[in-house]
Amino acid sequence: MTDHKAQIIIWDWTIRLFHWLIVLLVPLMWWTGEEGMMDWHRRLGLTLFALVLFRLIWGIIGSWTARFVPMIKRLGAVPGYVRDLFAGRHSPSFGHSPIGSLSVFALLAALSIQVGTGLFSVDVDGLESGPLAILVSFKTGRDIADIHELNFDILVILIALHIAAIAVYQFVLKANLVRPMVTGRRSDVRASSDVSVRAIPLLFSISLTAICLYAVINVG
Amino acid sequence: MKTLRVKFAVPAIAAVMMLTACGESGGSEAASEASSEVASVQLPNGMTVKEQIEARQGQLEKVGDAFKAISDQLKAGSPDIAIIQEAAAAVPDATQGMADWWPEGSGPESGIDTDALPAIWENMPDFQEKVGNMQEAAANLNIAAQGGDIAAVGEAFKTTGGTCKACHDDYRLDD
Repeated sequence: MTDHKAQIIIWDWTIRLFHWLIVLLVPLMWWTGEEGMMDWHRRLGLTLFALVLFRLIWGIIGSWTARFVPMIKRLGAVPGYVRDLFAGRHSPSFGHSPIGSLSVFALLAALSIQVGTGLFSVDVDGLESGPLAILVSFKTGRDIADIHELNFDILVILIALHIAAIAVYQFVLKANLVRPMVTGRRSDVRASSDVSVRAIPLLFSISLTAICLYAVINVG
Repeated sequence: MKTLRVKFAVPAIAAVMMLTACGESGGSEAASEASSEVASVQLPNGMTVKEQIEARQGQLEKVGDAFKAISDQLKAGSPDIAIIQEAAAAVPDATQGMADWWPEGSGPESGIDTDALPAIWENMPDFQEKVGNMQEAAANLNIAAQGGDIAAVGEAFKTTGGTCKACHDDYRLDD
């Protein structure tokens, strides 16, 4: 085993907490939506709104592996990285791999669209609606609800791809990506930056998220 | 039907959803081809099928507008009773003669885009009864609104909403 190799932190605790809360909330959102439990759908949806918003802010001012700019820079390396994977060469990344960065952008975009459209959605009877639906007409709210429904399918496809990719890493490339997402630590990579949560960016992100959440709740 | 769908969807992942999506789009393409012929067929009431479907969709959209307006007010911290009264008065107007909006031949078999299910014409007496329930509830909602008591409006609104759902559950394509 690799006992002697230092286990370094690649995912800070906010990233891990965000990830596993999403895992919990997305199926719950599907369930409450499908069953018409709209009070819970709205409550959990607002929770999801706060989580996604925090993650987007954290992607700008958070710890290094959470940040979007380095991930954007890695997108250029996607073709080479994929070629290497097919050739059986896999070099573990500190943080998101090039293709992993692409996956994160796709998943975050789909989540943002899902949460964003949910805020304005109106049901077919005009009885139930998202917290910001008061700002749009019935017709617009219905059109947005159609996008909400369509985008959920896209989100499910992306999640299925994500899980399939994790399985390929696990069973084909023998790289366990699940454990680091739980413990935050990985032993087979070199640290190129400090990934600790700093208090001021954290407080700023939480405050900004809270202000936006408060605003959304009070518009309706 | 609903529980079936739920059970089915739990293990269903990307592949299934993609297949479903393909099936649906294929169906609507075929439907739009057929629609050009049937669209101009005249119903006994003098309207074409297309006119009939669009007319009832337009009326029901008015109901949706009114319901959303009431729902928005009920959710607000201080509901504006004038907005509620105007919206509540619009519902009985918009649903006048509603029982005649689904004549034979104006269903999905016409090929025109409609969420009305064939079940309507298979259970016409039940459908008509539900339409009647809705009109009655809407009339009561309007009385409550003109009375000005927000709590009474809330109750009547729930009842009326229930009559919308009662019909949509059985007779409208689930979206």
